[in-house]
Amino acid sequence: MTLFWQIAIGLGALAIWEWGWALHDKVPWLVPDILDPYFVSKPSEIYRQFLRMGCLVSSQGDWTLGTPGAFEKCIGRSENNLWIATYFTLKNTLWGFATGVSSGFVLGLLLGRSDRLSEIFYPYITAFNSIPRIALAPIIILAFGIGDASKIVTAWLVVVFLVFFNTFEGARAVDRDHINAARLLGAGEWQVTRTVIVPSTMAWLFASLTPAVSFSLIGVIVGEFIGAEHGIGRMIIEAEARGEAAGMMVAVFVLMIVGVILAAGVRRIQAYLLRWRPASTMAT
Amino acid sequence: MQNTPPRSRIEIDRLRKIFLAEGREVVAVDDASFRIDDGEFVALLGPSGCGKSTILNMVATLIAPNGGAIRVDDAPVVPGRPIAQVGYVFQKDTLFPWRTVEGNIGYALELAGVPTGERKTRVAEAIHQAGLDGFDRFYPASLSGGMRQRVSLMRTLIARPEILLMDEPFGALDTHTKLDMHSVLLSLWERERQTVLFVTHDLGEALTLADRIILMSARPGRVKADFKVDFPRPRDAVKLRETPQYAELFSKVWHSLGEEFAKGRSA
Repeated sequence: MTLFWQIAIGLGALAIWEWGWALHDKVPWLVPDILDPYFVSKPSEIYRQFLRMGCLVSSQGDWTLGTPGAFEKCIGRSENNLWIATYFTLKNTLWGFATGVSSGFVLGLLLGRSDRLSEIFYPYITAFNSIPRIALAPIIILAFGIGDASKIVTAWLVVVFLVFFNTFEGARAVDRDHINAARLLGAGEWQVTRTVIVPSTMAWLFASLTPAVSFSLIGVIVGEFIGAEHGIGRMIIEAEARGEAAGMMVAVFVLMIVGVILAAGVRRIQAYLLRWRPASTMAT
Repeated sequence: MQNTPPRSRIEIDRLRKIFLAEGREVVAVDDASFRIDDGEFVALLGPSGCGKSTILNMVATLIAPNGGAIRVDDAPVVPGRPIAQVGYVFQKDTLFPWRTVEGNIGYALELAGVPTGERKTRVAEAIHQAGLDGFDRFYPASLSGGMRQRVSLMRTLIARPEILLMDEPFGALDTHTKLDMHSVLLSLWERERQTVLFVTHDLGEALTLADRIILMSARPGRVKADFKVDFPRPRDAVKLRETPQYAELFSKVWHSLGEEFAKGRSA
């Protein structure tokens, strides 16, 4: 039943999007101006544009996959076609995610377990945290150029704080009794860190992974908006400059798919790593 | 029977502990002294808040006393420096939730660097002794309270501590599970005969398990009386409770304990 409604709502929305504007002249009060295809294009047009941008259909309108070499030729014609753009955006997102998560975790652990360090750094962290990270993107492009590095740094900056705060909280919340139990079972300082503090804090880290990967993607796209050689963000900006609503929509849909796949992947990893938790053990 | 005098394992001498509660000093333990010999199973019995757990935690080096001395195997106890031959079983569930039953029980052996092969054998043996066969790969979250406490017990026992400190380990369990755990503990202990200091407020539990009951007074905690529990061993945790000797000793200690419960209420 839920599935029925989900499909019905989806098809309904697509139908309004596709044919809604045709009613605009007859019943203007019913159809808002935002449905103008100049802004949002139309599903059918977006689909055709997707086939063109993805080099699935040649400029003559033939399927490229039928003619050997046609797909490669089309890809070779542009240095920022849909596939290359997706590859670069995805690659930079994963790098930003990986560097942000690992450095955020280490910093959170260090400061979370040391009252002295956290006291010293407290004002700086609060100050930095109140800067909207995205506001720094132009500076980063200026400093790191329009290549991949600036996108990774922007994504890293967005991710690192999120992971840092989660890890920090987690490192402070380690159960004292677990530490005591480990000590009484013969654990030295380093062993306590390795076998109690790190795994116990990991649970908090994992909780931040799904938002972290979405944040990373946001960071990369914003970086690409400002200046990039490749990437879906650049595609959107270029399509906007040409007034091509369909082109922008194709890029947005690809981003949506990338986002969904990334989040699903992270959630799977998360579920596996947190399998010891009550909720996940009951599910198995 | 040997004629050499029994070796003292734990000695507590005029132990004192003061806590600060809302700016006021509360004497938790006042001038407590006793001695536990090798292989003795001693229950430290008293109403809640009498400082019995505090004494145990001071022996375990978890908290520092304000006065007096503790000696384990004739060496003074230094707070914060755990003693290798002493094992501790918590009242609270302190199993590592991210480790399986196997991983929890084998933890101490991992720390000590015991080779994987030997570790596996010893863990499997411990799992069998605790009646946990088939649960090796389970995480604590999917075990019952009684099973978790069995894992806790084995996690401590696998390191073969000669001295065992237990802080109301079965306090959170229902009556049935508790009796079950008594049988498990008795059979394990009767094989190894560790020196045990067992904190409890449950007189039945103390009589079932211990050779001696040290009765604490209500706050401030002092040693009020020392009873010998000379029921023959091996004991049956369930049948023991039906014997006249059990009833007799129960009422004798109960009377003394009751006075302290009354004091604890009025204080």
